Amino acid sequence: MSQAWLPLATLATSLLVVPLIFALPERAWRMRTALNLSAALLKVVLVALMVWGLYQGESYRFSFTVVQGVTFLFQVDALGLMFAGLSSLLWLATTVYAIGYLEDSPNRKRFFGFFSLCVASTIGIALAGNLFTFLLFYELLTLSTYPLVVHRGHAKALDAGTTYLRYTLTGGLVVLLGVVALHVMVGDVTFGEREMLADLGPEAHGLLTVLFLILLLGLGVKAALVPLHGWLPRAMVAPAPVSALLHAVAVVKAGAFGIVRLVYDVYGIGLTYQLGLLTLLAVIATVTILYGSMRALAQQELKPRLAFSTVSQVSYIVLGISLFGPFGTIAGLVHLMHQGLMKVTLFYCAGNYAEELGIHRIDQLDGAGRRMPLTSIAFTVGALGMIGLPPVAGFISKWYLGMGAVQANMPWVILVLVASSLLNAAYFLPILYRLWFRPGPAHGVGEWPQERRLGRFETSGWLLWPTVSTAVLSILAGLLAGLPFSPLDLASFVTAEEYTP
Amino acid sequence: MIDRLGLLAPYATHLSDFSAMMLVLGLPVLLGVLAACWQPRRSWPIVAFSLLPLMALAWLSFRVLPQGGQTWLIELGSLTLQWRANGLTLLLLLLTQVIVLSSAAYAPAYLREEIGSKGQQVWLWPLQGILAASLSLIWLAGDLLTLYIGLELMGLAAVGLMLLPGRVDALAAGMRYLLLALVGSLAFLLGIALLLGAWGRLDLVGLALAAKPGVLLWVAVALLSAGLLLKAAAFPLHAWLAPVHASAWTPVSALHAALVVKGSFFIVLQLWLVLVPEARVAAWLVGGLGGAAVIWGGLLAWRAAKLKDVVAWSTVSQLGYLLLGFSLLIGTTPSVAEVAWEGTWLQLAAHSLAKAGMFLATGNLIYSTGESHVRGLAGASRRMPLSLLSFGIAAISLIGLPPSAGFTAKWLLLHASLEAGYWPWIAALALGTLLSAAYIFRVFRYSFVEDAEPLDYRRVPWSMELFALALALASLLLGLVAEWPLMLLRAAGGGA
Amino acid sequence: MPPFLDALLALAMVALAALVLLDRHLVRACAWFVAFAVSVALTWWRVGFAWLALLELLLGALLTGAFLFYALDVKLWAGAPQVRLARWRDPVPLTWRRGLLRLLPALAVLAMLGMALASLADASGPLRAGGLGLIGLGLWAFALHRHLLRRLLAFNVIGTGIFLILMGLVGDRHPAAGHGLVVTGLLVALLGTALGALLIRRLSGLEVRGVRSAARAGRGGA
Repeated sequence: MSQAWLPLATLATSLLVVPLIFALPERAWRMRTALNLSAALLKVVLVALMVWGLYQGESYRFSFTVVQGVTFLFQVDALGLMFAGLSSLLWLATTVYAIGYLEDSPNRKRFFGFFSLCVASTIGIALAGNLFTFLLFYELLTLSTYPLVVHRGHAKALDAGTTYLRYTLTGGLVVLLGVVALHVMVGDVTFGEREMLADLGPEAHGLLTVLFLILLLGLGVKAALVPLHGWLPRAMVAPAPVSALLHAVAVVKAGAFGIVRLVYDVYGIGLTYQLGLLTLLAVIATVTILYGSMRALAQQELKPRLAFSTVSQVSYIVLGISLFGPFGTIAGLVHLMHQGLMKVTLFYCAGNYAEELGIHRIDQLDGAGRRMPLTSIAFTVGALGMIGLPPVAGFISKWYLGMGAVQANMPWVILVLVASSLLNAAYFLPILYRLWFRPGPAHGVGEWPQERRLGRFETSGWLLWPTVSTAVLSILAGLLAGLPFSPLDLASFVTAEEYTP
Repeated sequence: MIDRLGLLAPYATHLSDFSAMMLVLGLPVLLGVLAACWQPRRSWPIVAFSLLPLMALAWLSFRVLPQGGQTWLIELGSLTLQWRANGLTLLLLLLTQVIVLSSAAYAPAYLREEIGSKGQQVWLWPLQGILAASLSLIWLAGDLLTLYIGLELMGLAAVGLMLLPGRVDALAAGMRYLLLALVGSLAFLLGIALLLGAWGRLDLVGLALAAKPGVLLWVAVALLSAGLLLKAAAFPLHAWLAPVHASAWTPVSALHAALVVKGSFFIVLQLWLVLVPEARVAAWLVGGLGGAAVIWGGLLAWRAAKLKDVVAWSTVSQLGYLLLGFSLLIGTTPSVAEVAWEGTWLQLAAHSLAKAGMFLATGNLIYSTGESHVRGLAGASRRMPLSLLSFGIAAISLIGLPPSAGFTAKWLLLHASLEAGYWPWIAALALGTLLSAAYIFRVFRYSFVEDAEPLDYRRVPWSMELFALALALASLLLGLVAEWPLMLLRAAGGGA
Repeated sequence: MPPFLDALLALAMVALAALVLLDRHLVRACAWFVAFAVSVALTWWRVGFAWLALLELLLGALLTGAFLFYALDVKLWAGAPQVRLARWRDPVPLTWRRGLLRLLPALAVLAMLGMALASLADASGPLRAGGLGLIGLGLWAFALHRHLLRRLLAFNVIGTGIFLILMGLVGDRHPAAGHGLVVTGLLVALLGTALGALLIRRLSGLEVRGVRSAARAGRGGA
């Protein structure tokens, strides 16, 4: 079945790598690097093949029965491919980055083994065709990211890991309860069969609302909706590639992706609107956006500030979904990808500053623009995108969010957008000012906390090129948004499917 | 429900089927005695010889399954025994043989490395054989006398196995176990006596038809259940389990926690389904005990300082899930009972495989670090990835995280509880999951510690690693391919 | 069978059981146990179960008694005992407070059993009454005593009581099934007692070794 092998092969590229990496000895870093990179490249190729196939109209599907009434289903659709494409691209970049970042660290074998398992879980989430399969990989993601969070092994990392587990395992349990309850009510709901719930009639609405809230609660833990976001800032103790992965690609995105699937493919936007849940989503998203931005303002260290920025930014996706109408949907979906690109750039830069110059606090960034120009340009690009300035991709998301708010008759959302952009500016612009306009150790004032010369350029090539690439992609995604296969185009493709019955 | 248990299966007509069954029963004992004479030093002869009972089982399945099940009548003078085999029986037989094989194959390296020349090693093999045979007898039994014989043999063999280390703590714990096992047997015998006296039959099919509710039935069932639940370490009669495991040999612990307590559970479930299938309130009581077991066992495992205690208390907790399944099978609607039927047996199989794997992996960890406390694992993830991996994979099934068999079983039990509307059981399942995660990840937290002093790690022999990993992986894979064994459960006379 | 003789036999059986369970001197208690087993065998013979009588004599009186004496390290053919007599006394006193808690389940069992038997209005009274008495005594002893050997004796007494009740209920109607159960039960009781006896020997041996090595260490250190 040519239809089945492609999604399975995509999963296999990272899943089969795991035992291979664990089998290699710790010292064989060249072989491990080759293995990681080739697997990442292969995955990008396979996902591209699936995208091309989807545009041709092919369908990819793999399923088998786990128990009666419960199927394991891989089904490739545009939304899943969007997420898969983002994951595979960013995995390639993060693999390169991690190889450079962990150059002298112990336990690299353990790290890369669970790293690959984490990406396998993310691809599984992207390709999942029903709630059971989604849940399977969702929990596998929790398991595979725990060793990454506690990688450093000191007391703070272990505590952060415990907090992480408490939140995510409880969230996973809540999702499990919701999914089983749905199965009891209607049986196996494949993504896209929205009529299964819609056909239940008005008597079931109360129960459906409760189930929605339960599932939202469980998914919201990973999506870092306030007040379930407590694990995220504490997980900053992990190495920078892990933070990049957690925040931009895997965990938080998986939560947001789950909410997208819930609203569009399980309940359907019509039913969700009927149940009055869209307004609730909008309120939750607003609270998270504003709270996250305000907490970010108060942070003095770079990574925690970026962490709260993530809390705030991911809720744009939820906000976009909650705006009834195609523009809101496009905005939410396209921001899924744009935020991934921009946030991963920012975390790479933070990691570069920490590795090359030992900078962890914002007030140590004075004049870093002169010492590490490429990194700082990349940071600037990411920050401007977060604020929402053209031509970076973030502008496109905010523009569509505004249009979606108008279309959904919720003009107060525009106020929220403006306020949030101002807050973003308030906590990003001072950093940019420090980078470029304050004299620092590069100008002879003071010293860097711990300078190491890691490479020929401003830092090691492994660390630099992924940063620059994702920054360039962020600009391109904004500039070339009108071209086919751009994130905006893909999001519009998905939305067109959703809104035409 | 008795058709699901295979009790209404057609009578056998071929002698070959009977011989297949006698081979399945007799070969383990024979092999055990053989091993006692020969005293194997390596694992592969054990694996090779253990294929013989597996082949006999395959032969038996081949003969039995096309008809859905078979019953045998065995006449000993004027006494008639009734044995039966159906899909459920065959699956339980397979589970028994797999775990006994793994435990027996683990033993030579373990005895050589860890035990040296202490204790009574030669008795391990015949006792394991007798244990396997008595368990098979329990699964096959269709009348109370055979059940009694099987139960007693199993109990005595289990006590004997626990006494093998020969140290004072093992003997003291074994003494307590012996006394409680004997008391349990007495209660069981008294219950059988009352049933026989009232209705004059020992075969389960006849009792199912003849039993009338009344004082006698209730007293008999109460006595039977008390004895059997004591042997199954159900809350609150569980206190003997943890001390016994603390001092037992690793392969013996694996075998015991995986199968021996399950044998008693199987008997008590079977008897309730035969005698009192509509006893909703009483089943709720047992379910309540199960919920209490889940929480109490989980809490004590969380607080335990020694690794083996964590795993032993985890057994008490997981047995609570099985008791929850009890109350979902008795006195509920057929659709709920159907889902709960699959969930209970899947949970039994998942727990057996995972717990056996976990005990073997724990044995490896203790051997390698030389420490039996949880904090002795500090920094272990760097040096012993394979043992920790086996422990971790088995733990995934125990906590009930996907894609393991424990997850699928928990899914089915949740489905049944939600459909029946039994909210307390849902809370118990949820709390149980969180508690298991707490005590498992507490162990892993120690293993990730970086700034611990490096200990001297002994290299674990590959055969010990292999079987721990194999059992753990089996529990994982069973989760995804659960439909095939469940089809057997359904097809053999237990269809919707 | 003359009822007076049967009643006397039943009474003797129960009295011997009481002696077995109440005596603190363990060797004497085991001797009473052998006598008790003989009286049970006589009862079986009187009621008409010759095979059971034979088995009871063999397994109950001979083998079980042998194991019990082995546990106490008594060599009947030797002269004076070779170990101190003090070890043959159960030193643990009865504490009524803790004992009461354990007695409650025993009383519950007896009550339930009584109710169940009452609902089965049948003949063959002495077997049932004797059995009930034995079970009561045995449960009381098992609940209150702490010494392993005394608990083993109690277990044997309870077992015998259950066999009596069993044969009383089914003896004339379904002898085969009843015989099967009792024979199995006798074998199990024997094996259990044997295991227990081995345990007691091993434990006391380890204790003696422990005491001796501690004494040697003490003397060596001093």
